[in-house]
Amino acid sequence: MNRIRRLSLAFAVTGVVGVAAPAAASAVTKITISGATASYPLVSLLAQKYIKTHPKKVSFKITQGGAQIGVNDVAAGRVSIGDVSRDPVAADPPGLVFYPIAKYGICVITNKSNPLANLSSAQVSSIFTGKTVAWSAVPGATASGPIDVISRTSVAGVLTNFTTLFLEGKKVSTKAAEEPSEGLMRAKVESDPNAIGFVSNYQSDKGTVNAVGYNGVACNHENVKNGTYSGTARFYEVTKGKATGASSAFIGWIERSAQAAKIINTQWLTI
Amino acid sequence: MRPKGWEESVRLEGVERMLGRPPAMRGGRGKRSSPTTWRWVDRVALAFAWGAGIGLCLVAGAIVVYMAYRGVQYLRPELLVQRPAISTSQSGSGGFLDPLIGTALLTVIGILLAVPLAIGGALWIVEYGRPTWLARMVESSIEMVAGTPDIVIALFGLSLFQLSFMAPFSFKAEGGGVFGKSYIAAGAMMSLIALPPLFTATRDGLQAVPGHMREAAFALGKTRIATIRRVLLPSVRSNIATGITLGVSRIIGDTAIIVLLLGDSLRIDPQGGVPGLGVLRGTGSTLTSYVYNNSPAGEASAPQKAYAAAFVLLLFVLALNLLVDRIGRSQADATGLTVAGATV
Amino acid sequence: MLERLRHPWSDNRAERTLGAVSLLVCALVVAMVVFVGIHAWPIFEHNGLSWLGSGGDLGRQLAAMQNTTQHPPPSAYHLRAWTLIYGTLLTTAGAVVLALAISIFSSIFIVELAPVRLRRIAIPVIRLLASVPSVIYGLIGILVLVPFVGNDLISTAQKESVQNVVELTGAGLSVTVVILTVMITPIMVALICEALVSVPNSWREGAVALGVNPVRAMLAVTLRAARPAIVAAAVLATARALGESIMISMVSGSRAFSPKPIDGLVFFFEPLRTLASGIVDYHEGIGAPALGSALYAWALLLLFSAFVLSIGGYLIKLPLRKYQVRG
Repeated sequence: MNRIRRLSLAFAVTGVVGVAAPAAASAVTKITISGATASYPLVSLLAQKYIKTHPKKVSFKITQGGAQIGVNDVAAGRVSIGDVSRDPVAADPPGLVFYPIAKYGICVITNKSNPLANLSSAQVSSIFTGKTVAWSAVPGATASGPIDVISRTSVAGVLTNFTTLFLEGKKVSTKAAEEPSEGLMRAKVESDPNAIGFVSNYQSDKGTVNAVGYNGVACNHENVKNGTYSGTARFYEVTKGKATGASSAFIGWIERSAQAAKIINTQWLTI
Repeated sequence: MRPKGWEESVRLEGVERMLGRPPAMRGGRGKRSSPTTWRWVDRVALAFAWGAGIGLCLVAGAIVVYMAYRGVQYLRPELLVQRPAISTSQSGSGGFLDPLIGTALLTVIGILLAVPLAIGGALWIVEYGRPTWLARMVESSIEMVAGTPDIVIALFGLSLFQLSFMAPFSFKAEGGGVFGKSYIAAGAMMSLIALPPLFTATRDGLQAVPGHMREAAFALGKTRIATIRRVLLPSVRSNIATGITLGVSRIIGDTAIIVLLLGDSLRIDPQGGVPGLGVLRGTGSTLTSYVYNNSPAGEASAPQKAYAAAFVLLLFVLALNLLVDRIGRSQADATGLTVAGATV
Repeated sequence: MLERLRHPWSDNRAERTLGAVSLLVCALVVAMVVFVGIHAWPIFEHNGLSWLGSGGDLGRQLAAMQNTTQHPPPSAYHLRAWTLIYGTLLTTAGAVVLALAISIFSSIFIVELAPVRLRRIAIPVIRLLASVPSVIYGLIGILVLVPFVGNDLISTAQKESVQNVVELTGAGLSVTVVILTVMITPIMVALICEALVSVPNSWREGAVALGVNPVRAMLAVTLRAARPAIVAAAVLATARALGESIMISMVSGSRAFSPKPIDGLVFFFEPLRTLASGIVDYHEGIGAPALGSALYAWALLLLFSAFVLSIGGYLIKLPLRKYQVRG
């Protein structure tokens, strides 16, 4: 009895090791990505498609946090690729390579009950820096009461782009609520009739918030595509040094393949 | 007056047992004085007491009814067996099979790790317990773990599992940083969450076993460890079962550890090629993190899915509650002893 | 070798094994304090204890921390986290005080006043309330209570009165305290009921025999005798309220703001952030060394307060020992 137990134990151990060894030998490469919340839907869809067209080659682990998180993580070697939704700035750590993959538009949004049609750059600037505080001072707005400015936390790439493109570098008012992601920003504006915020056109195209025109041009996918909308920015994939191996293959596929272009063109724009 | 020995070995009676007795045994109410003759302070207190009691029941009922209403509105059976998918709309984003499996997996890991620690610790404290300063230290440690916020335990887990020699428990990213988030990491910290209720239940059960059972075993020549194996552990089986159920309900309801330590991927995402070990080292999600992510506070903002998953979660908790009740009642009927109440 | 394992162990070996297992639990707790302390050290090194004080906008300080590289300059560690501590104190104190009042009166109701059928429903219902996960409370809060408070309870005039300083969106102090109270009341009710029942009935009967009405007898005799249990319940509830992170991060508004009592009624609607909810909100930035240290420093503070709580509870119960009621 004793011997049988010992023998069966030995068999079990060998069996596990036997299965493990060849399985480990054919292990897939794991690409880790972190960064912007604005490009998360796009990169997730791209990763899904890449796995389907290149089965058993790679697997992905995609997390979010904000564009600056992506930059920090990739510089520290914690992830292979960083999703970044803003252009490179001087304060970025040295040695990073930015690969542009898509263009997107930034839309100013208000609640559905406040169908503001258009804002000029002067108005946007004065609202978001906190100079204009009441909806009554904004022509065309049906909301009444104080303006609830919703902004993003400082790690957001969309915020950096927004201040550069719309506010000419001025800072958003300190009173503004700081949402950690695009989804939360959109949810906030959806539920608060006095809110105003800004998201990428992917979020505003969902139809649950009102996209405000900027300087006479409506903010939607067509206007971003034909170039009439001025608030456009880029998504980048960032690596430490030039991309190598599986990351390089993935980024190359995004830049060149027709399937990737098709996915990008649904809600965003190819470069 | 009851003799002290018997009183010590009878556990504190639950409120139900008290109520089950006929009024005469409770000391009898007799004729009540009517409230109109009381001072106004007492009348106000009476009103408050009624208000607070009824109010609490109403609030609890409202929560259950509202979640049930929303749940029935949004829960469809397919959601329970479909895998979640990344999609831009609520209808395309699939069900929550992976979060369900994730919850189950995490619970199993947490309980498996907690049971030896808790039962071993309780046995040592009750049966051996020398030196006394060490026993007191162990009890205080368990109390400290019980009082620690789950977010602090999660941060501790993160700092522990991101050490470089812990890489086998998750994986190493390209630049050399250890990811630190995996089922093993989250399960290990969950065991800390489940440890205090299990320890308390087992310890109370062991203390409630009458001394004469141990003495009888010793008189028959059994060693202490044999007594533990053959006599004590079987008799505290339902205490252990209650403790495990309490631990499970704490694990199921915990979100903070999941958010920090499970690497939030929608689907179960194994790491490495080994079948079982890969899932343990991989990441995933649970029902709680699924509800959190789909609520307006999370990324996906799909309230319908959040309500459906929350309803399923509530059903699990209800079932666990009934289980604790059932075990407690059967224990009480069988031996006249009751099990430690469903508190910590 | 398997032979030896199967034979019954000697008592000595069993004692040592079980003792080692128990020691492992102690070691884990020590490890927890050590690890959290090590990661929190840079904040103490660069700020001393003044990081607990106030000064500057916490949001901007944390933003500066996140925008640094792997080797941040010393100035990046600047932190004044009083806003978080104040938020934690406000919510915890408010919730515990409310919960104490409600749970004492509910316990009296359940033990003394309720008809038997109502009691049979009330007890399982309250026990269920104690085990509902916090994320469900947060869900109901953010989908039902916050819009209700924001749109129906706060008037436009009130919003305008503070519009130069902060925005009122409904997510804030009132919703947080209400939900926190509902979360911790069932725990206290369970403990206090148990204690009220365990007080010898003869004491209360003696009071009633002297002509005291039942409610007063309850308050004056049984409740006073159950004071150790009430203290234990309050300590447990405070520990729970301190550590609540997910629910608070969902309903307390996304601003590290210190609600000001001088604002009158608006005080209850102002947003805030607590230590625990701050950790959840910023956890994705833990890779930035300065921000990571800040999060661990907050965790160390929470650990320290849990420790102080249990010691404080023990000390408060000491003079109450003479009643010999189980606490």
